[in-house]
Amino acid sequence: MTKIIGIDLGTTNSCVAILESGKPRVIENSEGARTTPSIIAFTPDNEILVGQSAKRQAVTNPKNTLYAVKRLIGRRFKDTVVQKDIHLVPYKIA
Amino acid sequence: MSIDEAMPESALQQVEDTGQDTSPEGLPPDVMEITSIEGLAKQLAETSLKAQDNWDKWVRSQAEFENFKRRTEKDLQNAHKYALEKFARELLMVMDSLELGIKASTPGLSEVEKLREGMELTLKQLEAVFEKFGILAIDPLGEKFNPDQHQAMAAQPVENAEPNTVVKVFQKGYSLNDRLLRPAMVVIAQQVGESTYIDQKA
Repeated sequence: MTKIIGIDLGTTNSCVAILESGKPRVIENSEGARTTPSIIAFTPDNEILVGQSAKRQAVTNPKNTLYAVKRLIGRRFKDTVVQKDIHLVPYKIA
Repeated sequence: MSIDEAMPESALQQVEDTGQDTSPEGLPPDVMEITSIEGLAKQLAETSLKAQDNWDKWVRSQAEFENFKRRTEKDLQNAHKYALEKFARELLMVMDSLELGIKASTPGLSEVEKLREGMELTLKQLEAVFEKFGILAIDPLGEKFNPDQHQAMAAQPVENAEPNTVVKVFQKGYSLNDRLLRPAMVVIAQQVGESTYIDQKA
């Protein structure tokens, strides 16, 4: 039987649900949370972190922790939103 | 069963034959028609019976499934409601101890030493409860920073400390059966030149 999955990719948090006998059911992540921060981090140890753990180390690794990237998806570099974000976020937009 | 299955085919054959007007067996078309209609009627009766049977079965299993769903929902609700029961019962002792402690600490009459002793005992009680239910404290002072369990509050350049290690714990973290309840709030030692580090591959 085919399964239906829905992903709400939010700017700050994301959420995943599946359709189960006609009703949507939100599924939890490995930490038991129903939403996961839409954050990805690349650590100096070449580790890639996503979600809550990426958020927890953001202070220590601001240049390689990407958040709110949904605002940038699909926009051109010259777009006013992108140009504004360049001055707002600690990571480099190039 | 094989007879039942053979029936419709032969009936169909007969209908087709009558359509051609000339019957190979030499029987008048009228007789052919009657037998074929009888056959079809029988077939229809059998099929409708079967359909009814299947329908009944489906309705029954659907009802069963609905019941099962309702029962599971109720079980889940009860589990939610009473999952805390055992834990709560163990906490009652701690509550009692705390109340006794408050009662004993009459202003002007109590000794700090004894109060402290009582508090330590109460704390031990609580720790025992935590241990019993798999609640573990996370106190990572001096350990390597681990974002799975620690929340970095700040990064400070600290002498005599390995970069990326925890130099101060604001608040201990706790985990429950390997799942994080709360990350430990920590300050970590800053890597020299870390602020300029950019992962070019990223």
